[in-house]
Amino acid sequence: MSNRNTAGLTAAARALASRTLTVAAVALLLIASVYAQNDARAIVEEAQRRAESKSQRYEGLLQVVDSKGKVADKRWLFTRLGSHGRSKSVLRFVAPAEVKGVALLIVNHPDRASDQWMWTPALQRERRIALQDRSTRFFGTDFSFEDLEERDVNQYEYRLLGEQAIDGAACWHIESTPAKRKISQYSKSQVWIRKDNHALAQVESYIKTDVVRRLKYSDFVEVQGIWTGRRMEMHDLRRNSRTILALDKLEYNVPLKEEDFTLQGLQNPL
Amino acid sequence: MRVVFLLLAFAASASAQDFTYRGFGEVRAAVYPQTTPQDDDRVAVEARFRVEPAFKPADWLTLAGSVDARLDNLEQVEREWRLDVGDRRLRRPALSLRQGVATVRKGTVAIDIGKQFIRWGKADILNPTDRFAPRDFLEVTDDEFLAVTGVRARYERGPYSLDAAWVPVFTPSRTPLVGRRWVPLPPETFGTTGFVDLPAVFPDRSQYGARWNVLAPGFEFSLSYFDGFNHLPQFTAQPLSGRPLVALQRTFAPLRMAGGDAAVPLRWFSVKGEIASWFTTSDQADDVVLYVVQLERQTGELSLVGGYAGEVVTERRSAFAFAPDRGLTRAFLGRAGYTINATKDIAFEAAVRQNLDGVWLEGQYSEALDGHWRVTVTGVVIGGDEDDFIGQYQRNSHLIGTLRYSF
Repeated sequence: MSNRNTAGLTAAARALASRTLTVAAVALLLIASVYAQNDARAIVEEAQRRAESKSQRYEGLLQVVDSKGKVADKRWLFTRLGSHGRSKSVLRFVAPAEVKGVALLIVNHPDRASDQWMWTPALQRERRIALQDRSTRFFGTDFSFEDLEERDVNQYEYRLLGEQAIDGAACWHIESTPAKRKISQYSKSQVWIRKDNHALAQVESYIKTDVVRRLKYSDFVEVQGIWTGRRMEMHDLRRNSRTILALDKLEYNVPLKEEDFTLQGLQNPL
Repeated sequence: MRVVFLLLAFAASASAQDFTYRGFGEVRAAVYPQTTPQDDDRVAVEARFRVEPAFKPADWLTLAGSVDARLDNLEQVEREWRLDVGDRRLRRPALSLRQGVATVRKGTVAIDIGKQFIRWGKADILNPTDRFAPRDFLEVTDDEFLAVTGVRARYERGPYSLDAAWVPVFTPSRTPLVGRRWVPLPPETFGTTGFVDLPAVFPDRSQYGARWNVLAPGFEFSLSYFDGFNHLPQFTAQPLSGRPLVALQRTFAPLRMAGGDAAVPLRWFSVKGEIASWFTTSDQADDVVLYVVQLERQTGELSLVGGYAGEVVTERRSAFAFAPDRGLTRAFLGRAGYTINATKDIAFEAAVRQNLDGVWLEGQYSEALDGHWRVTVTGVVIGGDEDDFIGQYQRNSHLIGTLRYSF
């Protein structure tokens, strides 16, 4: 009887201990997950803080390489006023000749998807890019209209997946998922941020479980205190084509006028 | 030609950031498998050279121009090499100042002075509110916009913008040449052996207009008002005494327009709409309400636009007018485009009258051969009833090949 009681107590104690351990493990996982989320968010916030500037200007040299290896060159002028979430950008093609003058105005918002308009000189009209258009490739490049938006830290939720080296540089490996209010073609992204300078090293964008685009940064330089990858290679994995964008004459905090970032300004050829 | 040299001289003295230019040279050949009762020509070839320089001599001033030079085999282009500025002649000028505008910008205000394009409306295939936009309709289905001469002030503050235009010089739309295939009626229709084109009677007063546009979060709309003239002519036909000829004269009906347009981008498609009510004091033109409703959807590299253009005649008066804008109403309109890759794309457009009396279909394949050369092949099929605006061109189905060098 006594042995049976002792055995019963031991079994109960084991069950209790097992439950306690399970609860503790779940709690630890939850705590770890919260810390991981907090850590990931803090890393992205810091990366955003370090990349902050009042304005930016560069000349973009693009090489679009299709799946058969055929190369098409393009060139654009990019200007941005403001930073992350509240910025406005104008991207104006200067080559090839047949798209010269075509321009895109992007007005970013902290709480929703950006507004975008395209100006086509041949039509003498600006055209609003519809929300669902943003998965479309931008003028035959491998960047979609959405890829040209500036990502704001508050539009995504984050999870630290670990650490991984990209091109020999130690990076934080973070998963970002669009917040509910953010309309995105991507269901999630995996982001690699360099530990030495908090610059973006790589972004993989997913639709459901498949990686559809991979953006890789290289040729890092510090320009006016901001570490920037001056070479970006966007690989469209579904089409097996890639676009290499090299940033030339990159400048930050240049004086730019607010009126150049309006529909009126978009029509200005210079 | 002096204008071109002047602009090039400006270019030489300006820094790269203050000066830019673009342009092209192209050869375009249209082949018509069928002749028409009044026109045996089957091949129309036109060569065109365009240069569009822009110069910014001061931070507040931009000068932009566009000059066209043309040559053709069917004399739809004039043979006289003088620089045309007014765009009022029946034929295309051999040399024309297509655009010449000075833009003065100060803060949120921009003033454009000179010959310029003023485009209103948000729909794609038909824009009933686009009243400062005459066109070259020498080939009705392959039209091109013409600029107007005047002053336009634009004010933009936050999501609001106001656009006001004053156009003291009237620019008409260029209509098909009498006796050519795009005027489908042979002289016998009028019991005569031919036509005499009398000089057009142009309006002698200015045109005005204003448009208020709002970019609200997630949608945009505008309201517009126009007081001027229809850039599409009405024709009066009078027999010439003692001769078996009819004299045709173009006049332009006074027109007031009140309209609006809106675009609402939704998650799965965008809705665009445009409506305009036209009033006239002419006893030979109709009062009408024209409207367009269209849905637009982009799926990857495929873009789709489909809609309906409608017309309500609020007061009918007899008229003999050339009115392609009204001719495209009471019709279903559609456009599909697909980007095959970085250098190739295809597109299809269609207009089908709701009673099926007129059908216009266009397919286009375009390929960039490199950064400068592009070849485009366009096929146009037109069918329907002779009494229908579209259907009357049933013998004008054609194939166009274009080779363009852009610089």
